[in-house]
Amino acid sequence: MNIVLLLLLLAGIAASLLSGRGDGVLAALQDGTANAVGTVLKTSGAYLLWMGLLNVAEQAGLVRALSKLLSPVLRLLFPDAGRAKEAISLNLAANLLGMGNAATPYGLDAMRLLNEANPRPGVATNAMCVLLAVNASCLEVFPATLVGLRASFGSTDPAAVVLPTLLSSFAATAAAVILCLACTRPCRSRS
Amino acid sequence: MPVAVLILALLLYAAIRRVNVFEAFRAGAARALPLMKTILPTLAVFSAATSLFRASGAADALHALLAPVLNALGVDPALVPLLLVRPFSGSAAVGALTDVFTRYGPDSRVGLTASVLLGSSETIFYTLALYFGSVGIRRTRFTVPVALFAMLTSAACGILFSNLFFGA
Repeated sequence: MNIVLLLLLLAGIAASLLSGRGDGVLAALQDGTANAVGTVLKTSGAYLLWMGLLNVAEQAGLVRALSKLLSPVLRLLFPDAGRAKEAISLNLAANLLGMGNAATPYGLDAMRLLNEANPRPGVATNAMCVLLAVNASCLEVFPATLVGLRASFGSTDPAAVVLPTLLSSFAATAAAVILCLACTRPCRSRS
Repeated sequence: MPVAVLILALLLYAAIRRVNVFEAFRAGAARALPLMKTILPTLAVFSAATSLFRASGAADALHALLAPVLNALGVDPALVPLLLVRPFSGSAAVGALTDVFTRYGPDSRVGLTASVLLGSSETIFYTLALYFGSVGIRRTRFTVPVALFAMLTSAACGILFSNLFFGA
C-alpha cells in the first residue's frame, strides 16, 4: 500500500510541475482529504443501520442456527478440526450472514484452538489453510452493507447487484474450496 | 422491495425470540463508530493522492497508456483503482467504490460492476496477516496462491456476470 501511495503522490506532483500546474497541488490534495470526510458521512447511514440490524440478527441466534446447518459441509472441509469445530462453524456462519466484525473473533478463536493441536508450530495445518481460503473468498447470503452503500449514493435499485455478486463470490469460494481439497488430499483421487 | 421484506422478517424473528431489539441495535450501531474512525484516515490519504493524480493530468496519461490492454480484457479503466486496492485495504476499497459512485452514479454500468467486484471479493492480505499472525504461523503453504486464485476468479466472474446482467 505504501508503494502505491508514494507512486500516486510522486507522479501527481511531478506531472503537475511538468505541466505548469504546480500551484494547484495543494488545492488538489486538500480537495481529496475534504472529500474523505464527505464520503464517511455519506456511508455512515449504511454502516450504522446494518451493523445495528446484524447485531439484532446475531442476538436472535441466527449465527448459531446457521452454524448447525453447516455441519455436513464442515465434515467435508475440516475432517481434522477437532475442538475448533464449533468456532469454525460460527466463523463461517457469521461470514455467510455478512457479519465481518462478528466473524473475526470466532475465526481467531478457531486459529488458536487449531494451533494448540498443531504438531509443527509455525507451519499452517490443513484445516488452517482451508479456513483462510474460505475466509478469503467471502461468500455472503446477502451483501447488506454493499446494498446500503448503493442506497446512500442514490441508487434507484440498490439490490440489483445481489444476484451477480452472489454468483461471482460463489464461483470464487468454489474455486478456493476445490483447490484446497486438491492440496490437502492428493491420495484420494488415486484410490 | 426485497430489502424491506428482509428487514421485516428479521425484526419479527427477533421479536419471537424475545430479543431486546432496541438494545441489540444500539450495541451493533455503536460498533460502527470505531469502524468509521479507522476508515477516515485511510480514506483521507488515498483521496488526497487520487485527487492530485487526476488534477495533475497523470491519470489521463496513464488511462491513454492502459486503454488498449483494458479494452481487450473488457475492463473499464474506472475499475482499476478498486481492483488494485481491494486485496490490501477494505477502507481504501470502499473509497474507490464510492468514488466510482460519485463520478458515474451507482446505477451506471461501471457503478454496478464496481459494486459486484467489491461485494464478491475480500481483503485477502489483511485477513491472512491477521489470522496467521495471531498464532505465529510463518509457513502458510498453499494458502496465498489459493487466496489469490479466488481473488482472480471473483474479479473475472464479477466482470463477466456484470456484463451478462447489465448489458455489455
